[in-house]
Parts: sequence; structure tokens; C-alpha cells
Amino acid sequence: MFHNFQPALTAARPSPQSHQKTPLRRLNPAVRFLVVWLGWTFAATAVAGLAGTAQASTAQTSTVQALTDPPSQAPAASSQIVAALADVPPPLDRLHPTQVLNRGNGAEPESLDPALTSSTNAAAVLRDVLEGLTSTTAQGKIVGGVAHGWQRLDDLTWAFDLRPARWSNGDPVTADDFVYSFRRFFTPATASIYSTTFQDFLLNAREIVEGSQAPESLGAHAESPTRLILRTQFPVAFLPELMAHGSFLPVHRATVERHGSQWTRPANWVGNGAFTLTEWRVNDRIVVTRRPDYWDAENVRIAKVTFFPIESEAAETKLYQSGQLDMTTTIAPGSYPLHLKQRPEDIRNSPALTVRYYSLNNEDPLLKDVRVRQALSMVIDRDIMAQRIVDDGSIPAYSALVRGVAGGSPTTYDWASWSMEKRVQHAQALLKEAGIKPGTRLSLVYNTSDYHKKMALFVASEWRTKLGLNTDLENMEFRALIHRRQSGEYQVARDAWVADYNDAFSLLTIVRCDSVQNSCRSCHREGDNLILAAQAELDPASRSAMQTRATEMIMLDYPSIPVLQSTSPRLVKPYLGGYGDNNPLDRYRSRDLYIQKH
Amino acid sequence: MWRYALRRTAAAIPTLWVVITVCYLLLHLTPGGPFDGERALSPAVLENLKAKYHLDLPVWQQYLLYLRGLLSGDLGVSFRFSDWNVNELVRAAAPVSILIGGVSLVMSLTVGVAMGIAAALRRNSAVDYCVMGLANIGHTIPSFVLGPVLVLVFALMLGWLPAGGWQASDWRYAVLPIALLTIINMGTIGRVTRGSLIEVMSSPFIRTARAKGLPMTTIVLRHAIKPTLLPVVSLLGPLAISSMTSAVVTETVFSLPGLGRLVVSAAVNRDYTLVLGLVVLVTAVAVLLNFLVDLCYAWLDPKIRY
Amino acid sequence: MSLHAALGDTAPTQTRVPPAVAGRSPLQDAWRRFLRHRSAVVSLCILLVMLLACVVGPWLLPHRFDTTDWDALSLPPSWSNGHWLGTDELGRDVLARTLTGGRVSLMVGALGAAAATLLGVAWGATAGFLGGRIDNAMMRVVDMLYAIPYLLIAILVITLFGRDFYLVVLVITAFSWMDMARIVRGQTLALRSREYVEAAHAIGVPTRRIILRHIVPNLLGVVVVYTAVIVPGVMLSESVLSFLGLGVQEPMTSWGVLIQEGANVMEATPWLLLGPAAFLSLTLMCGNYLGDGLRDAFDPR
Repeated sequence: MFHNFQPALTAARPSPQSHQKTPLRRLNPAVRFLVVWLGWTFAATAVAGLAGTAQASTAQTSTVQALTDPPSQAPAASSQIVAALADVPPPLDRLHPTQVLNRGNGAEPESLDPALTSSTNAAAVLRDVLEGLTSTTAQGKIVGGVAHGWQRLDDLTWAFDLRPARWSNGDPVTADDFVYSFRRFFTPATASIYSTTFQDFLLNAREIVEGSQAPESLGAHAESPTRLILRTQFPVAFLPELMAHGSFLPVHRATVERHGSQWTRPANWVGNGAFTLTEWRVNDRIVVTRRPDYWDAENVRIAKVTFFPIESEAAETKLYQSGQLDMTTTIAPGSYPLHLKQRPEDIRNSPALTVRYYSLNNEDPLLKDVRVRQALSMVIDRDIMAQRIVDDGSIPAYSALVRGVAGGSPTTYDWASWSMEKRVQHAQALLKEAGIKPGTRLSLVYNTSDYHKKMALFVASEWRTKLGLNTDLENMEFRALIHRRQSGEYQVARDAWVADYNDAFSLLTIVRCDSVQNSCRSCHREGDNLILAAQAELDPASRSAMQTRATEMIMLDYPSIPVLQSTSPRLVKPYLGGYGDNNPLDRYRSRDLYIQKH
Repeated sequence: MWRYALRRTAAAIPTLWVVITVCYLLLHLTPGGPFDGERALSPAVLENLKAKYHLDLPVWQQYLLYLRGLLSGDLGVSFRFSDWNVNELVRAAAPVSILIGGVSLVMSLTVGVAMGIAAALRRNSAVDYCVMGLANIGHTIPSFVLGPVLVLVFALMLGWLPAGGWQASDWRYAVLPIALLTIINMGTIGRVTRGSLIEVMSSPFIRTARAKGLPMTTIVLRHAIKPTLLPVVSLLGPLAISSMTSAVVTETVFSLPGLGRLVVSAAVNRDYTLVLGLVVLVTAVAVLLNFLVDLCYAWLDPKIRY
Repeated sequence: MSLHAALGDTAPTQTRVPPAVAGRSPLQDAWRRFLRHRSAVVSLCILLVMLLACVVGPWLLPHRFDTTDWDALSLPPSWSNGHWLGTDELGRDVLARTLTGGRVSLMVGALGAAAATLLGVAWGATAGFLGGRIDNAMMRVVDMLYAIPYLLIAILVITLFGRDFYLVVLVITAFSWMDMARIVRGQTLALRSREYVEAAHAIGVPTRRIILRHIVPNLLGVVVVYTAVIVPGVMLSESVLSFLGLGVQEPMTSWGVLIQEGANVMEATPWLLLGPAAFLSLTLMCGNYLGDGLRDAFDPR
């Protein structure tokens, strides 16, 4: 400043007033500054941007060169089996030349180790890079995966015959791989979150999880490299369906033992699925590419799948609209009607084996009385809730069992067909009998989400206008809600259950007597015994009838208030073929999909 | 000068230590843990999970273990992203955030200063009100409203730019996030520059320069600029740090794989190690930035000498 | 009575006494300068109207903010059915919700700004006045707080301890007072070396009285200006927390919460976003212009 004064004196000359001013000088000073500075801005930005981009693209990523070899000829025997089991293959002339699929995948997977995952986001990726004994097609059917056939040897024993399949490093997939993987899954040291859910089926699994027996005692052994024998604790009619669950995916033993917790990095990855893991950037993308040595590679159309972990449903919808995604994970709450108007062909809505319900604390003084619980359940108008409140294709539910389940049928209440006035009258009478006066307060807890808030507000409003009860709504973070449900510090809590496999037994977990998933602390002994007895029943029809009857008995005790059966609403581009509309478990393998010309 | 640098660095360490300890206590002394999940766990499994992450040790022992790891540069393993450790997660996410934050800071600086100068020189005229009104948009419209609006207009309606996501090799993915951050920050810088320049222009030495007939360009760009930029520079520190806040919103709206999104998943999932790792990182960066700002200050104001 | 009468003169004379010149305090000076700022005055008026609307409005409107109406879901704004800004997906009136949300937002802004101001002034004035090592230590603490990633800690604290209204205010306040402390400290340092303070000290006025009688009133200008700047900042912080799902809980609502809900369904039902966003933006803009006006009023140059 001051030291600049001297040169300024000598340089001082008024700017020439003549018409020989340069264009820049002709502008008035303020505008000139703007122009000059903005020019510098763009220059600086360009330089900084280029530098930054160069740095960002050399940042640490684990990438492996994508395999670009054409699919090789699969052995003749397995292609015959494939032809028998697979769905109609797509006509080749309708296929788009670039078979690249971009899927929205919700939250970032917590892991890609099948023994350590419990989220659907991780399962979606694992379904493509690993293959279990059986597998679920995009049309919702259970087909053979690594196993091409299975027989039930007796009540408690099953045999699975494996086809000649290979891991991505060339090793053959053997029965020992499955034995190792299952033992690993149940070993407490693995600390697998899902092991508690599945401990009831295979022999000794529960004891292994609790730590009282060694993993070698598990009811799984390899009779030969291509024949796996599984033994169960009680007759499990649906064992093949069970084996399609992500927890029973095999892992490559040598890789796991060599790399430990780093075995899931793309550089170390060895899998046996239709695709192999080539890139994994947390919060950015997971890329899997087609494996030419997969046993059914010739029927896999998609060459590359990219999973995008986008938690915000609104952001995901925008990416779908701009064409960056071919299918989303879900539809943003509140936007279903909009999509119905703007792009009805893009909406796919398969009913899911998900029941949304309100857990009632059966031990709470206010809710001890079954009449109170019944009244609370009766007055909720589930039709309005489904069609107007949530408006995303959900359907009303009156039972723990929902539409589409195997091994049982949804039950309902006789009052479900009454008019609402009659229901309200009856409910009010019940409350009076039970001695509950209008103005009584009760509390409802739910986890922070617009969706659950809407439902809770509706339910609270129903209880207020029809029964005169005041509901205190409290929302909290998801983990806090789980804590409250499990410790019993609640009166009414928002709850939901997704079946792990397609059998009523899975859905009934929430009403079983000693089930950890039964937050209601309810127990209907007779119904529970009937469910257990049904498991010993070999005839599927009578088993189904027994489970249904048991459900009916239990639900008449009103342990909880089922309200809705969720569907799996999703936006799927019309040119994406192979997407089945009857997939209750919402499992869509990329190998069943294909991109049509568009 | 180097003694000053050394002193500042030495002063930064207690800051870091206090911040880490407070966060650590906050995380470990509150109910609930990282393993509360929808599915109940058997006691044996829970025990093993805890042992795996040293959560079965008493809190003070875990703390010392963590500090020891910290000194050797190991920030620990993440709970939420269990296949990765914190170092890797941060290393992958940092370049994105730095790029977006850095470029937008530079741009908002240049654009903001330009606007401030233009507005100050044409004070109380239409230009002044227009420029300041424009600059204030970022102040008054929240970023999580402006962001989706930008996406709506430029990505969905006009189709010029992608609606979100990130490709390091494609510059178009960075345009909207940088634009959003720039719009938000240029208002503050513009206002401060304007106020500062107005003040400087009425000081004696400027009056002398004008009396001598110096052209306006020389006066502003050579004489007035340094004292004008002093308050702007002192603003840079807090602004860069508040970019962290803006980054969370920006990264959520545009689905960028940066530090902001890590912050949210870490906090919401009680991922102890990731939270602490991010706290360490951001605090260290903040201290560094403050130091750089002080250096700039010294360069601009000859009265300050270390 | 006139001077002459007082002095005993019996004949009152018709002298014209010039009217006494009323003295003007610096505050009155500032007020007059403030009134010259058109934009600041207009902003002040708008803010007062907004305050009035939010406090009194919800009682005057035909619909309550939490009345669900299953027959009036997601209606666009219309004059006829009384829903002047439309309804949301539960049939609740948007205008009523906006005004009620305004109560919470303005309260958060006021409480947060007041707490930040009090804390900042106390801290800064003490540090500036006491000087030396105490000043160093106190400012060191401020520097430390500056370095902490505010949002991360806010998310953490609210996630761990729940979304209590006062906790939200506390968290926001905890990170807004540092600017005020710095400014006040700087100003105090400058004031401390003024002659009248030295004089007071010389004649033995106790420190406490010096601070209260000489320092604090002269800080008023700076404090008022920065308070007007803090309020929009606090309101914006609250809305960012709401965006992340960490703002105030049902049944309370705030502009931040409403904007977040509206932004999610922006395309389908834009009125859900426009109402609260317009109110928030208007308040923030007026707050900024008011701050500018106050700054010019107290510190003209």
C-alpha cells in the first residue's frame, strides 16, 4: 500500500479520453472489474478443476480389468438342464447392442461377505456374484443354482446333487465348499448377525451358535465332492427354498483364509456367481461384470451391472428420470400418484411378503385386556390407509400371513367386512366393558420417516375420532426404536416383518411364543403348539391348513395390529426385460434381465 | 515466522486431543451401541462381535488402544462398512470433497469479490441492489431447496447435466454441486467485500490517489485491494469450515461419494471409529486452514509481523 | 414563570426566547440514520408483520395446523375452500402449518441468538477487558471450538440424546457464539484504552462498574448488529438439521421440517415447498437487510 505509492506517482497519467480506447477500457470501471474478474474466475476454475480431476481419478480405488472375452461353450449336460429349468430366453434380435444395467441399490451394503450381511442392499449384489444351492429367478421361482437336483431321503435328511461349476479362479465348486461356508456362518467367532434367525433348521445349528458345540457337528456333510447331505432338526418341507437365502451362499475357503477380512476387495474376490466383482467404491458404485466361465454363461445377457448406493429416494428418482438408472430400489414416498400419472408403464409393484403392523405391549396395564386390543384394531380403516394415506400400492392386512405366502393362507377377522359404523359401535362397547374412558392417553412410537409418520398420524386420528383416545406420538431413530421394542418400554410401536423365505413359518416368527422377534410379549400356547406340530406334517396341504388354523387362533387373541401388506414398488424402464411381477421375495437376479432395443 | 508456525502446531495438538476425548466419551457413554439391529442376536454372537471390535474392554482401555492406533496413523475399522477400515474410506472420499469444496471456494471468492467491488463502486444504484440481491440468494434460500431446483431445471428439464452421481473422469458431474456451493458462499463474500471497500475508499490515502487523478482501475486493483481483502480473508477460515456443513447437504442431494455422506452414515449408525476418524480429520484440516489464513493476513497487512 | 418575574420585575416583557435545543443521544442519532435506510425500514416492518402473523395467525385461521382431513388430501391452493396455500398429503392446511412452524423457527432463532449473544458478550468482554494470559486462554478455547466440525457433533448429539426442542436449540447455540465473542473482545480491547476508561480507573471506579457503565453501553452497537446477523444463521442451521431428519419432532413443526417434506415431493405438489420456503427466505432476507441497516446506523462512514 504505502510502498506502492512511489511507483504510482511516476505512473500517474489520466487515461486517454480519445476514441482510441481499447474495447475493455471503453466500459465503465464497475463493469470492467466484473469482466476481468470473471475471466480470471473461469481460468482459475479450469486449472483447479483439471488438477483436481487428475488427482481424483488417480485416487485409491480397487479396480480389476473387466473381462471382455466372449462366453465360452458350457458343458453339454448342464445346458440341457438349463433349458429345462430356465424361463423362455429373450429373442436375440430385440436385444440392445449394449447390455449394461444400472441399478439403484439404496444404502451402501454393510459388507459383501454373505455371512456378515443382513440387508437387502447387500443381498442384491451378492445374488449376482455368488450362487447357492438353489436360487430365485426374477420371475419369483426357486430353481437349482449350483445344485441341479435334490431329493428328500427321509423326514430329516436331504441330498443335493451339484453340477460341475467353477469358482472365478478356476477351482471347482464342491460340496465341501458348502459345508465350510455353513459351518462358518454358524460359528460364533464369525459374529454373523443372521445366524440367530436360521439356527432352528439345520441339525445342531442352535447349539453351535450358542457356543455349546463345535461347528463340525453341524448337520451338513459332503458325501462326495458333488453330493451334499443336509440334516435338519425337525422336518423342514421348504429346505430347498431356504437354501436360496443369501446367508447360505458359499464362500471360497482358500481366499477367505488367506485374506481374512479383506477377501471381499475386488482384487482378492473369488466368487461362483454369474458375475464377478470388478469395482467397489464405497458410497459411489459397485460394478460386477459377466463371468465367461459361469456354468450358464450363454444365457446371461447383461455384460455389466453397476449398483448405485443412493439412500435418498428423491435423489434416486431424479437419476432414474435423467436416464442414469434403469431401475430403482423403491419409489419415493408420496410420489406414487405422480408417477402413476406421468409414467404408469414404469411402475412395477409385486406384492411382497412384508407385513406392516403395530406391536402392542401385551404386558402393559392398558393393553392387557384383549378387548382393548381388539377395539384398537377394529376402528382403523385399512382401506383408506392403503389407498389414500400411503398410496403406494400397499394392500390392507389383517393377519400375520399375507397374500402370496406358501404353506398357509392369510386369515382375516369377521368384522373386516362390517361397515365402519358397526365396527366403531362394537369397539366403543368393548372399551366401555373394559373400563377405558374417553380421554385416556396412550403412546405410540415409530422411527423417523415420513412414511411412518403418515401412518402414525392416521392411526392416532382414527383412535381419537372414533374412540376418543389421545395418542402421544413419539418418533426416534431406528436403533432407538428397536431398543424400546426389545426391552418392552413402549405401549404401541410401529413394526414390520419381511419373510426370509417363502413359507408361513417365516412370517409366524412375529407371533410365536418364545420368539425374540415377538415384541408383543404375547403367547398363545395352543396356536404355538399347532405350528410346531405342523412342521412334523409331511403332507403339504394339511401342513398349510394347520398353519392357517394356528394363525387364526393366534390372531383372535389380537397380539398386534397388522395394518398393511407392503408391495415392492419400483420404477423400471420399459426396455428392461425379464422383470417378473410376481416375486414375493423381491429377489431380482441381474442374469435374468436384459435390455431391449429402445 | 517458523517459530510462529511451530507454536501454532504445538497449540493445535491439545485442541485435537480435547476434541477427540470429548467425542469418544459422548459415543461410548450413551445407551445403545452399533449392533442394535432389527434381528436379535444370540449372546454368544454379541460377545464375539464385541470382542472383534474390542468393545468388551473397559472404556478407558479402549480409549488408550485407540490413541495408540491414532499415533501410528491407524484410524481403526469401520462398523458400518465392515469390510473397510477408516483410512481407506477417508482416502476414497476426501478427494471428491476437496475438489468440490476447493473449486467452489475459489469461485465464490472471485465471483463474490467481483460482485462486492462492482456494488461498492456504484453504491445505492440499481447495479448495487441487483448485484447484492443476486448475491443474497444463497443466503436466503436454503441449499437443500436450491439443490433440487437446480437438478430440476438443468438436469431434468434441460437435460444438459447429470442429475447426480459422480464420475471422476467426467467434469459434468461436478458442475451442479460446485454451482450450488458457489451460490451459497458468494453472498457472504460479496457483502463483506462491499462493506470493506466502501470503508477503504473513504480513507485518506485513497482520497489522495483520486486527487492525483489516478485511474479507478489502478486505485482499486493496486491500492485498495489489500486492505479490502483483510476482512474477506478472515472470513475464509470459518467459511471453509462451514463448507463442511454445506457439503453434507450437497452430497446428499447430488449423491456424491464424499466426506459429507460419510459423516451422516457414521453419526446415524454410531460407527464410533468412523466418527472419531472424521473428527480428527476435520479438526486437523480446520487448524491448518486457520494457520494458512493467518499467513494470508500477514501477507496482506504489513503491520502484522510474527 | 419567566425570568423577569422570578427576578422580581413586575412588568412581563415580550421577549422572544429561542426554543431550547434538545440534546440528541447517540441512540437517537443511530435511529435517525436507520430510518434513512429504506430497505432496512421495510425489512423491519415485514419482520414485525411476520412475527404477528405467526403468533396470532394460527388462532385466526379457519383450519388448525394438525387437523387431518382425509377428504382434502394434497389439494392445490384455492380461495374457496379456505386452504389458501393448499393442503398436504394428510389433508392439513399448509398456511396454518407454515405459521405454526414459523412460531417454532422464530423461537429457535430468537432463543439461539439471545443465548449466543449473552454468552458471546460475556466471554468476549471478560477476555478483552482482563487481557493478558486470561485473554489468551479464553481465546484459545474459542479457537478450539472453531475447529470442531459442528454438524458432525450436532448429528451425533441429537442422534444419541433424541430430538428434544431445547437440545436442538442448545446444540445450535453452542456453535454460534464464537463470532460474537471474537468481535466483542476486539471491541473491548479498543475501548479499554480509551481515555475515559483510563480516567475512571484512575479515580478508583471498581472494575465491575467500569465494565457495566462504560464498556457495555459502547458495545451495544456492535452487539445489535451481530445479533441481527446471528438470527438468520441460527434459523438456517435449524433448517439444515431438519433436512437431515434431526430437527424438532412431531407434533411440533418448523419451517425447516416443512421445507424438507416439501422438497421431497417438489414435482408432484410444489405448493408444499413454496409456502414455507417463501416465508423462510423472506425472513432471512429481511434479517440481512435489517442487519445492513443497523450496521450503517451504528457505524456510519
